[in-house]
Amino acid sequence: MSGKGSREARHDERLRAESESEQGERRRRLLQIGSAAAFLVVAAVLVLVVISANKTSGGDTNLEDVGLVANQLKGAPQNDLVLGEPSARVTLYEFGDLKCPVCKGFSEEIVPSVIDSKVRDGEAKIEFKNFTIIDEESTPAGAAAIAAGMQGRGWSFIELFYRNQGPETSSYVTDAFLTEIARGAGVPDIARWNKERKSPKTVAEVESTTHEAEKLGFTGTPSFAVEGPGTKGLETLGTPGSSEAIEEAIAAAG
Amino acid sequence: MRLPAEGTLRVIATFVAAFGIGVATYITIADSGGGSPVCIAGGGGCETVANSTYSHLLGVNIAVFGIVGYVLLLAASLLRGDVARMVGFGVSLVGFGYSVYLTYLELFKIEAICQWCIASAVLMTILFGLNAIRMVGYVGKPA
Repeated sequence: MSGKGSREARHDERLRAESESEQGERRRRLLQIGSAAAFLVVAAVLVLVVISANKTSGGDTNLEDVGLVANQLKGAPQNDLVLGEPSARVTLYEFGDLKCPVCKGFSEEIVPSVIDSKVRDGEAKIEFKNFTIIDEESTPAGAAAIAAGMQGRGWSFIELFYRNQGPETSSYVTDAFLTEIARGAGVPDIARWNKERKSPKTVAEVESTTHEAEKLGFTGTPSFAVEGPGTKGLETLGTPGSSEAIEEAIAAAG
Repeated sequence: MRLPAEGTLRVIATFVAAFGIGVATYITIADSGGGSPVCIAGGGGCETVANSTYSHLLGVNIAVFGIVGYVLLLAASLLRGDVARMVGFGVSLVGFGYSVYLTYLELFKIEAICQWCIASAVLMTILFGLNAIRMVGYVGKPA
């Protein structure tokens, strides 16, 4: 009896040892799979970061200064291509070409000060008008800005375009580039924006404001004009050399 | 070192995953209305991040992928066994890795911080920790 009991005990022990060994083997295999998965994920994240870091700006899908533009325009209402309170007494008109490098310079160095000092407090609003003088890509760029304006992101589009502007003589204004700018600017309905930017009406508006600029006697971009209670209709300013000059013109027009 | 009981890990992971579903759902709903999540502490970070090109993957808001991930993690935390342990670890690992990448983008590419995205990244990091302990400590062992 005791011999049989001892045999059964040894048998049970052997089974238990085999089961523990199988369990240990299975555990080792699963941990190896887990470690391999962890290694792959770490490698994938590193690859994503390296690819992302190597992307260049201008014409690429990776936009520069999205955050900066958003902060610059924060708190200023956008309607069509007008930035600022619609009820503002003074309107500053900027006639510009999105492909124009001088306009880009104004956008970065002069316009932000005017936004801070005159637009944000409701004293003036700025209306951008397309004045296409660079090349045939200026018109689709301007039309895309108008279409973005129809969804309340016109100035975000304009400013982001300038920040990611390519070389003046190169052809970078592709559908992909414009779409990236629109997305970066926060245009909510890209399908609608695509339809509206290509509509004959929108393109005609770009041509119309270009004629308007020519009628006003402007020959280069950006050119400015101001209108308010203190002006006799629309008064041209040409291309002021500083933000102070624009701010003084707004104050005089108010 | 004594590991926490698997049951404790699963209970905590259940609550964290449920909270994650809430955060990701809020971001998705805010985005689907054409707007963006509202940063509670102010600032335009949430809007900037939501409007950036990185907020969508293959035309789908990445918060939708977040909801799917959190639902899988919730299911993994509610279930017993090695499959649940491995799924929990795998999904939280991918979620954690992608959160690291998105946080990198926010800091160095978009140059804006969205509190909701950071909240999700923190939740995913906690879930990764819980699921990693669960897998290393209990995989291959009886449920």
